[in-house]
Amino acid sequence: MTATTDIHALLEETIRRERGWLISSLVSRLGPGKVDLAEDVAQDAIVKALATWPYKGIPDNPRAWLRRVAGNTAIDRIRRSARELGIDDDWDLATSDEDVITPSLSDPELDLMVLCCDPALSPQDQLFLALKTVSGFTAAETAALFFLKEDALSQRLARAKRQLRKQSGDLARYPTRFALKDRLPRLLKVIYLMFAWGYLPRRGDVVFRDDLCREAIRLSEGLLAQTDGETAGHHALHALLLFQAARLPARATEDNTLVPLEQQNRADWDKAMIADAFAQMEAAQSSPDLTRYHLEAGIASIHAQSTTWEATDWGSIARLYTLLDRHAPSLAVSVNRAVSLIYAGERAQATDILDGLKDHRGAAEFPGYHLAVAKLAQANGDPDTAKDALSRASACQVSTPIADHIARQADLIEAGA
Amino acid sequence: MAKFVLMLHHAPDRYTNLGEAEFMDLMKDYNGWVEEMSAKGKFEGGEKLLDEGGKIVTNKSGSVEVHDGPFAEVAEILGGYMVINAADYDEAVEIARSHPHMKHNETILIRQTDASADE
Repeated sequence: MTATTDIHALLEETIRRERGWLISSLVSRLGPGKVDLAEDVAQDAIVKALATWPYKGIPDNPRAWLRRVAGNTAIDRIRRSARELGIDDDWDLATSDEDVITPSLSDPELDLMVLCCDPALSPQDQLFLALKTVSGFTAAETAALFFLKEDALSQRLARAKRQLRKQSGDLARYPTRFALKDRLPRLLKVIYLMFAWGYLPRRGDVVFRDDLCREAIRLSEGLLAQTDGETAGHHALHALLLFQAARLPARATEDNTLVPLEQQNRADWDKAMIADAFAQMEAAQSSPDLTRYHLEAGIASIHAQSTTWEATDWGSIARLYTLLDRHAPSLAVSVNRAVSLIYAGERAQATDILDGLKDHRGAAEFPGYHLAVAKLAQANGDPDTAKDALSRASACQVSTPIADHIARQADLIEAGA
Repeated sequence: MAKFVLMLHHAPDRYTNLGEAEFMDLMKDYNGWVEEMSAKGKFEGGEKLLDEGGKIVTNKSGSVEVHDGPFAEVAEILGGYMVINAADYDEAVEIARSHPHMKHNETILIRQTDASADE
């Protein structure tokens, strides 16, 4: 990374954080019906700050500076419309300098997150709304993350915001106090989805999206700090995110080539993060319920403690996948279970599972299914079936690095490896 | 080290019809450059000028006249100025070359400050 792209990335992240913080603070004062106004005000302020920085120089503490300038602009805008909104205009947005650096979620951010996770919205829309407000991504950035057209996303967001406007009474004023307990599982789901999108983008030309993964971890961490992790599965989810994120540095080369687990240089894994993940696993034991996050974190922990690919305890992984398949059945879980069975040497069982999925709705479009079939065929010494499955996999919607990875596997088979 | 003033000119309508996302990208370039130059000790400061408004005060044979901007007929207006440190004009020109203004606009005027009265 050059110095200039470094600065760009830092600027982008600072702007995003500040935007999220500003929107949250504004919504906490204006109410959930005014998300649009809050977004406009925050954006105006940020644009104004960005336009003057080049001349004045970037201040020593850009975050505090941006917050002050943005706060003033916000107050200006609100004052103008304060009368029509019927709100008190003598509040000061720039007072809370103390939380400039802390990674944890401020109360307004948590409030807004709770509002976004409205049960009347689909999990996907909850995620879009959270990214666009709490996380501070612009509409264009959010649309790009999910490969949607910007107006399609804006329409979904407009619908979601109309839903937020229906909040009234205590929930509108103190969402966390009144709805947090009910909505926490939804918050966890949104964080899980956010991370999943960052970990394995379905399109585009990067192996993973570092910014999305880190934002999911930030939200989860902030939420843990605010709720003492009393929600079933929260520690387990956090452990899962950390285990997966710890492997990210080894998962792609500089030029965005996917490095599969089998070939990863395990020395590049983030040891400190793995240690944190195990501590979270420990804390997860006290959860009142067993959740899918416990099982998924368990699987990730086995990979994390395997010193080599060959030393991986596939039998345990297969058993955890069997439990997960019972607990939270899905196509992806079944496929992963089959793959773990292949590695565990239980090819007959794997064959049964994959045969059973043949007519599953969605299997044809799921690249993982075809890759598993190819893997099984290779294990069976059947290169023709493997090649056929790989070509089906490459016909699915995948990112460029995944498409390249599939092509490389096909080449290997062709070469008789 | 001498001081030079970079005067950044742009077309009067350069930013009026620019999309917000595009404007922000552009400003990220400017901010990134300023950060880089500050780190190298080359950037001193400056002022951004407002595009709208402006006045001309003239002395026409003893009577002072005041005229309002904007000045529609001009091809470019001064958007702001930045003060930089450079050894000489050659280095100042090199710095101006690397300025994102050269990617997104057309003109930078460079003038050296007269430092003879400085301490």
